[in-house]
Order: sequence, then C-alpha cells, then structure tokens
Amino acid sequence: MPAPYAPPEQRQPFENFAPYRIHRVVNMADGDAERSFIQDIGGSGGSWRWTGKRPEVRVFLRTNQMLHYVIDFAIVEATFKDTGPVTLSFFVNGHVLDRITYKASGSQHYEKAVPEDWVEAGKDATVGAEIDKVWISPGDHAALGFILTQIGLRQE
Amino acid sequence: MILALAALLGAALTAAACYAAGAMLIDRLGIDLRRFERVPLAFTLGAACLHLAIFAILALQIAYWPVLTALLLCVIGSAVGMGSWALRGEPGEPFSLNLKRVCIPSFGIFTLLYFLHAWAPEISPDGSGYHLGYVVRELRAHGFERITTDMYATLSQGIEMLFVPAFAIGRHSAAALVHLAFLAALALAMVAYGRRIGKPWVGAAGALLTYASPVVGIDGSSAYNDVAVAAVAFSAFYWLEIWDESRDRMALIPIGLLAGYCYAAKYTAFVMVLFALGFVAWRARQVRPLVTVALFSSLMIAPWMLKNWIIVRNPIAPFGNTIFRNPYFHPMFEKDYSEDLRSYGVTDKRTLPLEVTIRGGKTQGILGLTFLAAPLAILALRNRQGRRLLAAGLCVGAPYLANIGTRFLIPPLPFVSMAMALAVGNSPPLLGALMIFHTASSWPAEMHHYTDKFVWGLDKMMFDQALRLIPQEQYLRTSADYAAARLVEATVPPGERILGLRGVPYAYCNREILSTYQSALSQTLIDFINASIIEDYQPTIVESFQFPERSARRFRVLQTATVSDAKAQWSVHELRFFDHGVEIPRRPEWRIEAWSNPWEVQLAFDNSLATRWRTWETVKPGDYLDVDFGREQPVDEVRLDTSPDYYEIRLQVEALDSDGKWVLVAHDPKAVLADHTNYSLRRAAIYEINARGIHYILVGDDNFVGEDFRDDPEAWGLTQVAAGKGILLYKVTQ
Repeated sequence: MPAPYAPPEQRQPFENFAPYRIHRVVNMADGDAERSFIQDIGGSGGSWRWTGKRPEVRVFLRTNQMLHYVIDFAIVEATFKDTGPVTLSFFVNGHVLDRITYKASGSQHYEKAVPEDWVEAGKDATVGAEIDKVWISPGDHAALGFILTQIGLRQE
Repeated sequence: MILALAALLGAALTAAACYAAGAMLIDRLGIDLRRFERVPLAFTLGAACLHLAIFAILALQIAYWPVLTALLLCVIGSAVGMGSWALRGEPGEPFSLNLKRVCIPSFGIFTLLYFLHAWAPEISPDGSGYHLGYVVRELRAHGFERITTDMYATLSQGIEMLFVPAFAIGRHSAAALVHLAFLAALALAMVAYGRRIGKPWVGAAGALLTYASPVVGIDGSSAYNDVAVAAVAFSAFYWLEIWDESRDRMALIPIGLLAGYCYAAKYTAFVMVLFALGFVAWRARQVRPLVTVALFSSLMIAPWMLKNWIIVRNPIAPFGNTIFRNPYFHPMFEKDYSEDLRSYGVTDKRTLPLEVTIRGGKTQGILGLTFLAAPLAILALRNRQGRRLLAAGLCVGAPYLANIGTRFLIPPLPFVSMAMALAVGNSPPLLGALMIFHTASSWPAEMHHYTDKFVWGLDKMMFDQALRLIPQEQYLRTSADYAAARLVEATVPPGERILGLRGVPYAYCNREILSTYQSALSQTLIDFINASIIEDYQPTIVESFQFPERSARRFRVLQTATVSDAKAQWSVHELRFFDHGVEIPRRPEWRIEAWSNPWEVQLAFDNSLATRWRTWETVKPGDYLDVDFGREQPVDEVRLDTSPDYYEIRLQVEALDSDGKWVLVAHDPKAVLADHTNYSLRRAAIYEINARGIHYILVGDDNFVGEDFRDDPEAWGLTQVAAGKGILLYKVTQ
C-alpha cells in the first residue's frame, strides 16, 4: 500500500471551448486522402491534385445538421488561356448545390450550407464538383479540369 | 545480400554456441548419449544455459555486439578445445532405404520452405512486435530497461535472450533463423526418440506430423517462441526417459534445467516443471532427486521472477496482480485479457477441433487435416511409451484452454504426434502412407483448399525475398504495418512517447508507444479519451449525501454491496465535501487514500471531470475513498461526481470518531443529473494526457476514436500530423 497522497494540483475547467463540429474535408495533403476518392482525381501525392471533369470524394457523416460544403481549388492560368471562363457545379449526393462561373484563373474558395435532407446521418455522402470545359493536354491527351486542394463537408 | 549473409552468420553462431554449451555440459556430467540424440539434446540444453549468460550480460548493461559475439565464439571455441564439439556415442541402427525414401523428400521440401521464410525479412505480427521489439530496445540500451508500461516486457523471454546475440550480428531474420534451429532440433529429437525406443518409423512419422504442421511451419520460421518451447519441453521429457532408463543422477540436472527453461521460455510451459517433479517422484520415490530437479529448475526461473519483482513488484507479472499488488497493471486488465484469450471469437467451443485443425481463421493457424485423427492417439495407451507421451502431452497442453490460439497447441503437439504414430503401430506401410498424406495435405498450395480464406500460414517459397533479390526495404514496405511504423518514426521526434490506440511493429520503430491495454498508465489515459466520447462513462450524475453537520478529522465513502457482474467497477470523477452549501477547499495537508487501486486516488481529487478514479477490478464490499483533513472539519454534505456505467453499488458515508471507530453518517444518496454542457471533456482529456508528458496520439483509421479525432481535431486540441497506412497520428496543440 502506498502512503496516503496529498490532493493534486487543481485543474481549471475547460469552459468557453469551441463546440464540437464535424470536419470531414478531404485534404489532398493527407496521406490517406486517396481512400476517399471516388473518381477523377489524379493519383500523385502532394498538397494538390489535378482533377478530371467531375472529381468526387466519399465522406462519412455522423450527423446531417448544419453541414457546409467546402472546396478549395485553383483554375490554372495555362488551361484558362485555352478554355476561357469555366462554370463549376457543386454536388452533394448528386444534388446540385450551386453553379458558379469563374472568369479568371487563380485560387478559389467556395462554401455553402447543405440542406439536411440531402445527407443521411451515419452513412457515406458523395461530395463533388464538375467543370463544364476540360483542357486536353496535347502530349498525352489527358482531360484536365482544375487543381484541387481540399473538398468535403464541415459542420458549422 | 550482405544483410542475408549477416542473418545467416548471426543465427549460425548462436545455434552453434547453443550446441557447444550443451555438449560441454553433457560431457562434464559424464552422460553417455547415443550419437543421433546428441545434437538435438545438446542444442536445447545449451540454449537453456546460454540464455542465462545473456541474461547476465543484459543485467550488467554490457550488451554490446562485440561482447555478445565474444561470448558465442568463446563457447564454441571452448567446446572445440575440450573435444565436446565432435559427435560421439553409439551410432545406432541406420535407417532403412524405404524410410529414407519417405523422409528425405518430405522433410527436405518443408525445410526449404521454412528456411527461405525464416531467412527472408522478418515481418510476422508478434515477431516484429514484442518478441523482437524488446530485443531491439535491450540492444539499444545495452541491457534491461526498467519498463513499467508494457505487460509484454514482463513476460519471461528465455528464447528471446538467444535472439539478442543473433540480432546483434544479423538483425531481424537472424532471430527467426534461430527459432528455426529449435524446430530442426525438435524434429531431430523426435526422430531420435523413435530410434531409442526401437521404432524408427514411429519416430520419423511423429516428427513429420509436427514438422509439417502448417502452424508449426509459420511459427517456427518466424521470430516467435512456441516451437522453441515445444523443443525444450520435449527435450525435458526425453531426458526423463534417459534418467528413468539409466538412473544416472547426473541426468537430473538437465531435467531440472530444461523444465525450468520451459518457464523461462513461456509462462504456460511451467507445467513441465510439475510434470518433471511428478515423474521423478513417481519413479524414484526419494526426496533427493526431487530436490536436484527443483534446484536446477529454480536456477532458470528465479532470474525472471527477480527481474519482475525489482521492476514491477510482481514476480509473476503481468498476472497475479491481486496478490502482488502494484501500480503498473490493473487486475481488470488481467481479467479482460484472459477472457479474450479464452475466446478468439469462437462462440461455440464444440467447433474448436475443426477450427484448429482445418479452418484457422479465428484461432490464427491450423494444425493440419491429419490432426482430425488426433483422438486415435488414445490407442497409444496400450503401451508404456504411449502412456508417458500422452501424460506429458496432457500436462503440457493443460494451459491451452486459457489461450485457445492454435499456436498454443504447439507445445503439446510433439507428444500427440508421437502418440498418433505409436497408435498406428510400427507398420512401415501405414506410417509411410500417413507421412505422405500429411506432407501433401499440409503443403501451402493444398492447405488453402480447406482452410478459411485468411489463415496464418506460409504461402510460397520466398527465394527472392530471402536472397534479397527483392531489396529488404522494398519487401517490407508491402506490409502496411511496417509502413505505419516508418511513418510514426519519421513524424515523431526521438524521445517522445506516443499514446497508441493501436500498435505498430515495435522492432522497426524507435519510439515508445504506450499501447491500449498493456499497462495501467495507458489504460487510464485511454479511459480519459473514451470517457470524453462515451456517454455512459461521463460524469453526468451527482450523488449527494446530506446529513446534520458533523465534525470529524476523517471521512470516507464506503462501498458495501456484493455485485453479481464480474466486470462491475466503481468509479468517481470527483469527491467533494461541503458545509452549509459551500465546498470545503482542498488543502495540501489533506491526505487521501483509496481501496482498491490506491495509486490513482488523486484522480478523484484533481477537479478535472475528464479523469476518474476507478477500482479497475471487480468492486467489492470494503472498497472506499478516504480523506483525512488533518484536523477536525465540520461537514454536512458529501458529493460524488460519477458516471452511470456501474450499478448494483451501495455507498455510505462514515466518519472516524474519537475512539478510532468508523461511524455511519449517511447512506442512500440522492442522485441528480449534472449539467456540464459548457465543459469540454475532450479538451480536458487531452490536457491530462499532455500534462503527463505525452504529446502524440496514434490511432487506427477504422477506430471510433479516430473517427472522432478526424471529425473535429480542434475540439480535442489536436492537430493531425500524419495519416495513411491505416493510421492517424495527432499532436497535442494546446
């Protein structure tokens, strides 16, 4: 039996904390990002990937409350020169959340609230984006869409 | 290729030193062995002796590779110098041509398969986990370390001691090859036993039944220890037979050493000590031979018990924690662990014979189709050797139901195999047919026709891997576990400890991982995390004892109920005292204690709702939390912040009166729901882990905790620093 102890240092309560929010955004830099890919996302590693026409990922959600669609991407100057303005459609489980036309190249961030009934809690959801015009690489004829950094759903 | 040659050299030198040490001892004792039994019996006996020498080197903290190599070379050189190296003794009858025709191809093909597997880079689950994990740590520290945070470090490591010099010279594969040498010694000893009893076909058939058994093949060609235990146990039995025949009292020394070495190799093989003592008592009916066996057994057992006593205050750790109480292992861990080992997911134990012989998916490996006929071994009872073999097999196999993994049948397997061959009788055609059938049905390509899809076993000849034509790193990288180990090592700075909700192959990861159930510390820390997520573990209840104000120096909360559920624990997140509605502030002069689990009592007095004191064993009447205020203190209310994950518990508050007697103050507390909606248990849990100097958490990506971390790392105060290969690695950011 150990000798009786003195009371230890008293902890302060962790109040005013950031409330728990589900964050299922697939970052291309994650080592396990490819597990979430469904289609049209390039295979090489790094912090970004080339997409095809309609990149899609799969994310698991334990709730459908207060979810926001989130995507960070870039329209590349070299492709934009040939394609001109492009329109991106943003999808959640096949529902079109929005369509936006981008008239310049560069980095973009987009997010928008997702209707609750589009997502079923406790099941996988597919999250994607579709570009209307792809750029065909003259060398290998690969159809390239845009540069994807992260995509997914986040609870606000 | 240099790696491959180094592995061969390390294993060859270690195996040769084992033989040399044993041969010298046999000659010194003046025991005449027949030529065919000298090699296997000298090998296992020498292994026992050499393991003690390596234990001493580790205890002296001088485990440098030149020291270990010098030890091996000195032992070999001494044997050569003393003339013990040479084979000697009566040669025995040569094998018949027909026996050679069956044995050479059957043993030959399996030997090649096993040799290539053992020689290839070692990545077996437990081999690259704890069997070699501790060898690596010991070599890095040049001796034993004081490890109190891993139950596996407290198991006896009698075979792993031999892996130490082999690894120092030839790394991981050398250890697997040393284990393979034990398999060869076992087969040779079984063949020799057959020749000794005048039934060479029986010996050869019995040996092949064990040798070609699929679980024996994969285990014996990996850095495990089960096959070595079988070899040592069978050798002890063999020496008993030699002693019984010769009544040479010197033979009692190898019997004692080998029986004791069984314990040193694996706790469950301790039964061989009992068998040896029982056999000697039965046959000698004198005390002196018994004392000799007991004394030499103790020589092998005592160092391991002493080591555990010094490090974790429990000579038989990680078991017996309610007898040898210590702060390092919870009794509930022992209960849960034992339950898991008795289950393996086999819900209907009537299916166990099929599971361990031909299915193997749940119990991890198969003995082989032929062993469906194992009950025939009972026919061997008709002769004396059969009765003795079965008695030894029964004894060595007795602990099996405590762990029903197939490989835990390996130690009794040689006895059963020999008895099966004896049951068939000394009929060459029948035994030859049995051997051919067993060879065919145990070959990997055939075996997979009748086993479960995922069964632990060998697949194919690994020429390219063994010869490193496929580079070692490239081959190892095909293992997700190995890749995960490299990822952890690349991400976490040296010296950092990691809380692991899953493991990685420790033999390839130079970081300390405090893993799940493996110590009281890791269990407690993981309980903080679980209690943040699992509602039943959270402090959602306040139990309040209210009573007329009473002054006393000491108060305690006593548990009085006998519970029916063996898993029931009592847990208290916080214990608070009040007077007139105002909490009595905790002062440094207070003295707090608890029973059971006195070492973690402070968790109920730290003002953190993320931590809790638990009994960590089945709650029982008399468990208590006790506070000595250091002076008379008026109190009119005692409150416990607690969780709803226990029931059947009855609590009362008592005060110590001036006569030194505990007096009942209140019972039947009023329970109300607590409101902690603004309290972040997740952050508080990570804060506690961080406060204990642990800044990294490793979790499997299919684990529910991992899901929660991934959902919102910020809510925990964590940052993901690596992901992939089945793992998620987080760093504490607060």
